[in-house]
Amino acid sequence: MSKKIGVYICECGTNISDRIDIDSLIEEISSLEDVGVAKKYGLLCSPAGKKYLAEDIKKEELTHLVIGACSPREHEQTFMKVCLEAGLNPYLFQMVNIREQCAWMISDKEAATRLAIKYIRAGIKRVALHKSLEKIELESNPDVLVIGGGIAGIEASLSLAGPERKIYLVEKTDALGGMTNKFAQLLPHQGANLSIVKDKIEQVNNNEHIEVFTSTAVEDIHGFLGNFEISVTNQEKDSEKKEFKAGAVVVAIGFGLYDPKETPAFGYGDVENVINALEFETMISSGKIVLKNGKPPASVALIHCVGRKEKGYCSKTCCLYSIKFARYLKDKLPNVDVSEFYQDLCLPDKSDQNYFEEAKKKGIHFIQSDEIEIKDINDRIKVKYKSAEGKKEELSVDMAILAPAMVPSQDTPKMAEMLNLPLDETGFFKEAHEMLNPVATPIEGVFVVGCALGPKNIPDSIVQSQAAAGKILSTLIPGKKLEPEVKTAEIREEFCTGCQTCLSVCFYGVISFDEHKGISIVNEAICRGCGSCVGSCPSGAIKIKHFTYPQLYREVLEALR
Amino acid sequence: MTATENIKIEKPPKGASIPAKEGIKKAILGVFKKALETEALDAIMIPVKVPETESYAWVLLKDTTLLENADPLPPVMTIQGGKVLSDLTKHGKINKNIAAVLRPCETRAAVELFKLKQLHFENITLISIDCPGAIPLSEYLAEPEKSKKSFDNVLDKWDGDDAVRKVCQICYRFSLPTLTNAPASDLHIGLSGNTKDDVLLIPVTPKGEKILERLDLKADSSLQKWETKIKEIKKIKSQRRKKFNHDFKANISGPEKFTAVFDGCINCHNCQSVCPICYCQQCYFDSATTKLSSEDYFRRAKERGALRFPLDTILFHLGRMSHMALSCVSCGACEDACPMSISVSQVFSLVGEQTQQAFNYTPGINREESLALQDYLEDEFCEVETPSECEPTNSNEVKENV
Repeated sequence: MSKKIGVYICECGTNISDRIDIDSLIEEISSLEDVGVAKKYGLLCSPAGKKYLAEDIKKEELTHLVIGACSPREHEQTFMKVCLEAGLNPYLFQMVNIREQCAWMISDKEAATRLAIKYIRAGIKRVALHKSLEKIELESNPDVLVIGGGIAGIEASLSLAGPERKIYLVEKTDALGGMTNKFAQLLPHQGANLSIVKDKIEQVNNNEHIEVFTSTAVEDIHGFLGNFEISVTNQEKDSEKKEFKAGAVVVAIGFGLYDPKETPAFGYGDVENVINALEFETMISSGKIVLKNGKPPASVALIHCVGRKEKGYCSKTCCLYSIKFARYLKDKLPNVDVSEFYQDLCLPDKSDQNYFEEAKKKGIHFIQSDEIEIKDINDRIKVKYKSAEGKKEELSVDMAILAPAMVPSQDTPKMAEMLNLPLDETGFFKEAHEMLNPVATPIEGVFVVGCALGPKNIPDSIVQSQAAAGKILSTLIPGKKLEPEVKTAEIREEFCTGCQTCLSVCFYGVISFDEHKGISIVNEAICRGCGSCVGSCPSGAIKIKHFTYPQLYREVLEALR
Repeated sequence: MTATENIKIEKPPKGASIPAKEGIKKAILGVFKKALETEALDAIMIPVKVPETESYAWVLLKDTTLLENADPLPPVMTIQGGKVLSDLTKHGKINKNIAAVLRPCETRAAVELFKLKQLHFENITLISIDCPGAIPLSEYLAEPEKSKKSFDNVLDKWDGDDAVRKVCQICYRFSLPTLTNAPASDLHIGLSGNTKDDVLLIPVTPKGEKILERLDLKADSSLQKWETKIKEIKKIKSQRRKKFNHDFKANISGPEKFTAVFDGCINCHNCQSVCPICYCQQCYFDSATTKLSSEDYFRRAKERGALRFPLDTILFHLGRMSHMALSCVSCGACEDACPMSISVSQVFSLVGEQTQQAFNYTPGINREESLALQDYLEDEFCEVETPSECEPTNSNEVKENV
């Protein structure tokens, strides 16, 4: 079939027509091979412009379309829609940016026109090599797997569950609640007592759209957005295996605690009455604040930042709960002497400052210190430290409570491998973008929330769960089919040597190695078309649709001519 | 394809000395004969002289009588041994215990192919041998007797000679290091400095040690004399390489001179088909993508005024160069195969050296090192990205980390 390429130059009001001699441009390119029509129009993106374009495509029976206008980032989608309306495959269209890249860049009209001619010619030569690409549709499962029954997992499940969306909530221990189960109380401005967590657990248990699996481990997950296949085993019931499908995965596997024994200077495990924060929470729950000898302590040291230097980050939550401990101690044992040893105070939220000031008013000492060493001297705890002034000081106390750093859950590496998720240098999961895309991951349909991403408090975990839920609710709409990327990579068997270089560069983990054939295979349903594998293939065996070597070669050749 | 079985033994300060009263080659073949007879090895992959001709072929031999025509160090390199080992193992590992006797450049090609997953090392004992170079194939075939004599002379002198190929004259990797964490070969045959008197069998990995053990050979001879000689020759050859590359670069730099080098190319692609590193199933330049319609050719002719055939010969060499320069082991197979006597291996060796230095990468020297392009280093090439913020690396300096 012979080609008939239509070229339309948009004046963009006067944005382009003022700076480029459109008439001479049209004259120059209309004689090019296969160019059937070359016209200009005032504002192609306007409703009238779009109507004119659609009608002209039909009237002229165009086979390919080139539009010289603004940046494709602005209106490529607009004109692709026009193509669809006019019955032209939208991939038989090429947009050429002669506004930002010519008109707005070059003040000399003649030079700008010369450059625009080159670019338009490149677009014409490229579009002649375009192939029709068809969008495919995939069935998509709206259900969601939530891994981890802590506060983050609970919140995600509650936000997502509904009549058309089932949630599978998998928890490895025998109860929901996660770390909060070990807390005696929350911070006062968070509601103080744990009833809010209990209420949420109750809501989960009463929700018919949430299926809870406790004492259950996730064994395998494979698939992609809309189509994950999951298998889990119950650790108690003779490793009973269950399999189900889901469209998205929320990883909410929480955190672990730094083992203070890794830094012997803190005396944990060696010195009597040196305990960690969770052990103190248990003491609060039991209502008995006592030393090993059964007597209440007369003086307590709260040690912040245990493991901060070793891990290389601040755990954000310890300052506040250490203040919570101090206030609790003062309430229960009014004569107790409480000293907080901190490196830097972390009081980021709006009610934190006040909470701290009140603690000071209650007579709690705050000592900025470094190089802490805890020793057992004559059955008393001696806290040796370097003061803010750089002086070596010491304080004798009856009890020391350590606030250990929050560290990645021990299941993190296994989960990362199973889902092909990257970890950052701290060992926590890495966000798709720390600032701009904080709960997404490089794997579409897989989200990480709460302390699995790094230390944070309960409200921040809840915010992240709701954010992930929002993303899932807007993509996995029940009944709606998914449209995977059309411009995917393709490996040509006859060229592939099986060196597997592509596997090492694919960020999305969509390439696998076929041992039998000895070649690499792209899963086109989940390929994002980034092109990394194309560039890395030493044999040129991979091509990416719509960015083939001949297309790029022709375009560059004309642009540089 | 794990390399873990090649974990380096502590320090091999010693080798087994094999008396070579009847010549070094006889001594080596004697060891191989014993290895086959005692079934320490099931087979040996070694060059064997083809009966009735002067050529050599690779033979995987079990029959010890065939060893009579075998030559662990033939005067020519007819086929790159690394490529043969890849052919042998690419589609699955070997279940027999096999040794392959390779020149250092062949060994290094094998290691590169291993990294490219085109070769299995399981059950293969790689035996490398000191190499004084090879005679140009065309000269050898024209005058075999004279060439053999020249080769014997070269073996006596060891510092390269006009008789061997140009890339061999300037090759300073004619031996392989025996002290590395992830060595290239399992057993190394040391010749230089011991010529005529004895041959040294130097175990480099536990696999190499095992073979010596099976043959009741004790590694108790000092390597000092051999090492000193290697250093001495390496110094001479490195200097010669530096000087040669400096002059040669001046002769081929710039589009005109570079084009002139490949002017005679008849587009036969022999260089590509014999190159061990050119491992592609099908060369892009042989594919349909590069074939255009007569209409396109006519248009090109019109645009340029004329169109020379065969097309894209320079593009072919540049393309091949960009693909394999980082792994080029300077084996010279391409130049031996060129019917037009183009100095292709000298060009590739020079470009390869500079590219490899830019990446601080030595191909084929370490089995566990990943390919240069597969390792991403954040501070790499800062002189390209942020020239004002970094010290430029001096890529003209010949570095030798062997």
